[in-house]
Amino acid sequence: MEDMIHMDRAMSAQQDIKISAKGVQVYYGDNHAIKDVDVEIEDKTVTAFIGPSGCGKSTFLRCINRMNDTIDVARVTGDIRIDGEDIYDPKVDPVQLRAKVGMVFQKPNPFPKSIYDNVAYGPKIHGLARNKADLDEIVEKSLRKAALWNEAKDRLDSPGTGLSGGQQQRLCIARAIATAPEVLLMDEPCSALDPIATAQVEELIDELRQSYSVVIVTHSMQQAARVSQRTAFFHLGNLVEYDTTDKIFTNPQDPRTESYISGRIG
Amino acid sequence: MQSLTTPLLFVIALAVIGYFVAKSRAMQVAGGDIRLLVSLPRQHALSTTLATLVPACGAVLLFALYSRIAGTTPGWFLSLVILGLGVTGFALSLIGIKIESRARTYSERWIMALLIFSSTIAIMTTVGIVFSMLFETFNFFGQYDWRDFFFSTTWSPNFRGNSDLGIIPLLWGTLYVSFIALLFAVPIGLFAAIYLSEYASPRMRSVAKPAIEILAGIPTIVYGLFALITVGPLLRDYFAEPMGFGQSASSVMTAGLVMGIMLIPFVSSLSDDIINAVPQAMRDGSLGLGATPSETIRQVVIPAALPGIVGAILLAASRAIGETMIVVLGAGAAARLSLNPFEAMTTVTVKIVSQLTGDTDFASPETLVAFALGLTLFVITLGLNVFALYIVRKYREQYE
Repeated sequence: MEDMIHMDRAMSAQQDIKISAKGVQVYYGDNHAIKDVDVEIEDKTVTAFIGPSGCGKSTFLRCINRMNDTIDVARVTGDIRIDGEDIYDPKVDPVQLRAKVGMVFQKPNPFPKSIYDNVAYGPKIHGLARNKADLDEIVEKSLRKAALWNEAKDRLDSPGTGLSGGQQQRLCIARAIATAPEVLLMDEPCSALDPIATAQVEELIDELRQSYSVVIVTHSMQQAARVSQRTAFFHLGNLVEYDTTDKIFTNPQDPRTESYISGRIG
Repeated sequence: MQSLTTPLLFVIALAVIGYFVAKSRAMQVAGGDIRLLVSLPRQHALSTTLATLVPACGAVLLFALYSRIAGTTPGWFLSLVILGLGVTGFALSLIGIKIESRARTYSERWIMALLIFSSTIAIMTTVGIVFSMLFETFNFFGQYDWRDFFFSTTWSPNFRGNSDLGIIPLLWGTLYVSFIALLFAVPIGLFAAIYLSEYASPRMRSVAKPAIEILAGIPTIVYGLFALITVGPLLRDYFAEPMGFGQSASSVMTAGLVMGIMLIPFVSSLSDDIINAVPQAMRDGSLGLGATPSETIRQVVIPAALPGIVGAILLAASRAIGETMIVVLGAGAAARLSLNPFEAMTTVTVKIVSQLTGDTDFASPETLVAFALGLTLFVITLGLNVFALYIVRKYREQYE
């Protein structure tokens, strides 16, 4: 009986932690880009990675869905688990993993296809729809979740590249949502957008927190403060400090974090 | 032409002399101190050379073209005009050398004129080729009914006159050979391009790409020999005879296969460049959604690169249609309308050569038909090129 309670507690604790990384090292050729990073990312939370350019925050983000595998010279060691499962285990198919861990890139990169086909791309590849009606529903749901449905519903057949920058980025978010991921990785999703489009995407990120664990890399500390609940500060490949966003911005423990958020380094 | 060459040589000499005279004159004006000059002596020199040369060259081209069309030899008057233009440019430039004159800007203008002149030559040559074909073609249709030419299905030139000169068997041979060539070249070239651009390591690529491009450097007559002594007998012994398609070593298949090999580097090299131009963000986006590399290539990269690839294929098709040597040695010279790919056939280009190399009267329809054939071929390849450009333009802005 006591064992059962113990197990229950362990399970609930594990459910809260979505991604757990221990001793992660990344090398690009001879360059040691990530040095011994430990981090635990919670479910249904927005976690922000901040830090100066070249500090390794994007590199670490790309470890979580194994996008670094597509770069020949990159080498990742250490232990990254999603829901307790080692994603670098040889049994794990990186292709399946990437369907579960969606990614949104810095520059909006819609495919040269129609809006509908952009969103339907992932579901078609992974066979998530039984028939056309199913697919239509997935497309509509994803576009609604990405707050793009009202603008796009009358032009689903027109090319995705014809949308404005902010709309394109929301289309890319819809495309990522459509494969029913559990984690959404966003690599500076607003850096190519104007302030209005940025506000729309930020609002969207806050809503996505209901359903997903969201990890966002950003250069803007204001953005990290606005959208995230937890913040990690990276510097020169090290994870310097990781805590609640409030604490990082009001009462940082490490002098390097303090210097960065007050604008002295970076 | 002869009478235009002398003044042109004189103007060129004047331009060279002008370079050195202008240089020393600029130094002299500045009193030996080039810091005083707004433009450097060599800029004055260049400006003088160009001012002497460019207008005269333009005039030579214009007069040559005019006398060709009018059918007269250019007279001493035109020579005088050319000389006058050269001397005027030379003199005006030399007089114009002052401390504050801006020779850099002048030479900039003359350089632009030179560039326009060069592109005009290229365009005028095309126009000239078309016109020379047109005149002879008109002569041909004056002697031979155009309906027989375009719609008759027999080609049997008879040097004593009374020939059947129907283009259809030749056109059929041309299209059949080209079709087979593309059937080999497009998949192989495209797959090679995909391997090179998406899968090959940089080291492999640096070896394989030049190796494939060596194919483009082989003269077509060598390909023809390869078709004649290797591919032709091979196809006959192992395919045509056992399968009962005939005993001919020279066949459409032989020529098409060898021509296909010749076209591989065209397709692969152009497609490789085009596939590489597809932004990496497209691949990342697809891989990030959990697509495999081959799904990414099939569904994202190739569609994005398609307009360029179609352009490459149509360019290869133009080459195939215009090819002569491989067909002569590989497919033979018998004009025939047949579906059997192991039968000897011939193409338009081969017949153009054979009609012009006989010692017949140049004004007879048997000879003049070569020009009508050439013009038809030109119209077809021009149409293909225009179509390729249209496709490329229409779909170019799909990504970015």
